[in-house]
Amino acid sequence: MVEGFQNHGEISLAHYGVLFLDELPEFNKKVIESLRGPLEDKTVTISRLNMAVTYPCKFVLLASMNPCPCGFYGSDTQKCNCTKEQIRKYLSKISGPLLDRIDLQIEVSRVPYQKLDSNKKEETSEEIRKRVNKARRIQLERYKGQEIFSNSELPPALIEKYCKLDSKSKKILEDAFEKLGLSARAYGRILKVARTIADLDNSRDIKTQHLAEAIQYRSLDRKYFEN
Amino acid sequence: MTKITIEDKEYPKQLKEIKNPPKQLYLEGNTELLKQNIISIVGSRNCTQNGEKLAKKFASELTMQKITIASGMAKGIDSAAHIGTMEAGGKTIAVLGNGFNHIFPKENIELYKEIIRKGGLIVSEYPPDTEAKSNLFLERNRIVSGLSIGVLVVEAAHRSGTSVTAKLAESQRRKVFVLPHEIDDKYGVGTNNLIKKGAILITSTKDIIDNFKSLKYIEFKEASTVNIDKNIKNKIQEQKINKTLEVRLTNKIEKEVYMLIKNGNKEVNEIAKKSNKSISEITNALLMLELDGAIKKIAGGYKCI
Repeated sequence: MVEGFQNHGEISLAHYGVLFLDELPEFNKKVIESLRGPLEDKTVTISRLNMAVTYPCKFVLLASMNPCPCGFYGSDTQKCNCTKEQIRKYLSKISGPLLDRIDLQIEVSRVPYQKLDSNKKEETSEEIRKRVNKARRIQLERYKGQEIFSNSELPPALIEKYCKLDSKSKKILEDAFEKLGLSARAYGRILKVARTIADLDNSRDIKTQHLAEAIQYRSLDRKYFEN
Repeated sequence: MTKITIEDKEYPKQLKEIKNPPKQLYLEGNTELLKQNIISIVGSRNCTQNGEKLAKKFASELTMQKITIASGMAKGIDSAAHIGTMEAGGKTIAVLGNGFNHIFPKENIELYKEIIRKGGLIVSEYPPDTEAKSNLFLERNRIVSGLSIGVLVVEAAHRSGTSVTAKLAESQRRKVFVLPHEIDDKYGVGTNNLIKKGAILITSTKDIIDNFKSLKYIEFKEASTVNIDKNIKNKIQEQKINKTLEVRLTNKIEKEVYMLIKNGNKEVNEIAKKSNKSISEITNALLMLELDGAIKKIAGGYKCI
C-alpha cells in the first residue's frame, strides 16, 4: 500500500479522497500498521537504501470488517462457529493504536428482508449532503485565517479554544475515560467529533448530547472479549 | 499456601484411592472444599462459543445442587466452568499442572486471583517454581478426576487431552458424563467416541445427579433452600436494578431504553425503532446507562447488568 518511488501506493493515491479497505483484518498486519503514521501526519514517507521520498496523503480512511472469521459473532439469528481463540486472533489484527485513530466505529447488524423492503421514509443522500455542506460552511467560517479548514485539522492548542465543554460534559468525559478505558489519544479525537456533531446540529456550543454521541462512536475498543 | 502429604489427614480420601496418587499437594485458598462432593467439568481448550455456554450452564446448575466444581484452569471449557461456578455464587477448585509461581496460561492470572478471592481453592502437586510443561498437564488430569466423584466432558475433539482425562477417570472408576454432539461436529468426535465406549450420555443436570445414589436432585420449583437462595439472589438483583432505576433513571428516555434492552432488544437500531427516538437521543441514553453501570456493551449491542 505504501509502494515505491515511481509508483504511488494506495495511500498517496487517496490524497484528498477516500481510502476504503474492505475486510480490514484480511490485510497483512504490516500493511495495516503502515497506516498509522500517514493517518497522523497526513504524509507518507518511503525510505529506500539511498533516498527517502515524502508524499502528501490527506485521506479519509474507511474500513469494514466482520466481527469474527465466520461473520456471525454477536448475531441473534445465526450461530457463530468460531472459537474464542480464532476471534481473538482475527480482531487482534487491528491494533489498539490503529483503532484509536478511527473516530467513528459503528456496528451494523444483519438486515432482515422485511427491512430491505420497507418503505419507511429515511433521510435521502441529497438531504444529508445539504446538512454536511452546511456544517462544513460553519467550520470554514469559524477557522477563517487560522490556516485550517475543518474540525479534524484542529491542533491541540486550538482544541481548547473551540471545543469548550460545560462542567456537566466535562464530568461525563471524565467518567467515560475512567469507566470505558479510553486512551489519551482518544481524548482530542472525541472532542473533535463532538464539535462536528454540534456543527451538524447547528449548535454554537458542544452540548452533552453531542459529546455523548461522540463517545458512543468509540465502541469497538471495549467489548467483544467478554460476553 | 500450605503443603500436605499423603499421610496427612487433610489429604482427600478419594484421591488416595487412585493408582498413582500425588505424594504431596500444594494448596492455596479454601481447603474445606476438598471435603465436598466434587464433580469436574472438562473439555477442549479450543472450544466453541456454544461449548463455553454449556460449560457455564452445567457449572452453575451443579453449583445449585451443592456440588463443588473442579477443573484444570486451562483456556476454553475449563475457564468457562470456573467462571460459571463463580457467577452462580459457588466456590471452585482449580488443579494446576504447574507451580503457583508460573500460572499458565498467562491470561488466566486474573482468573486465578478471582478463584481465591471468591473462596475457591487452587491445587497443584508441583512445588511453586515448577514451570508449565505439556506432560505435566496430562498428569494433572489424573488429580482432576481423582478428586471428583464424576467427570463431565463438554467438548472433546478426536484424540484430545480431554479424552485422556475421561479414560483416566474411567480407570479410577469415576463416572464419566458426556454431552452428545452431532456426528459431523469436529468438536464432538471425542465425546461421541466416549459414549460409544460406555460413558453416560446426559442432557441435563438432573441426569447427572440421578446417577449418584447418595445425591438427591433438588427441584428448583419446590420450596427448597436453593430456591430460597435463588429468590434472595433475584431480590437483591431487583433491588439493585430498582436502585439504579430510581437514582439514575429519572430520565424518561434512559428508562425506556433500559427497559427495551432488558426485554432483549440489544441492537441500537432496534432500540431506536421501537422507541421511536432519534439515534442521537438513543446514543446519549446508552452512554449514560453504560457509565452508570446499568448496561454493558457486548458483541452486537448491549445487555443489562
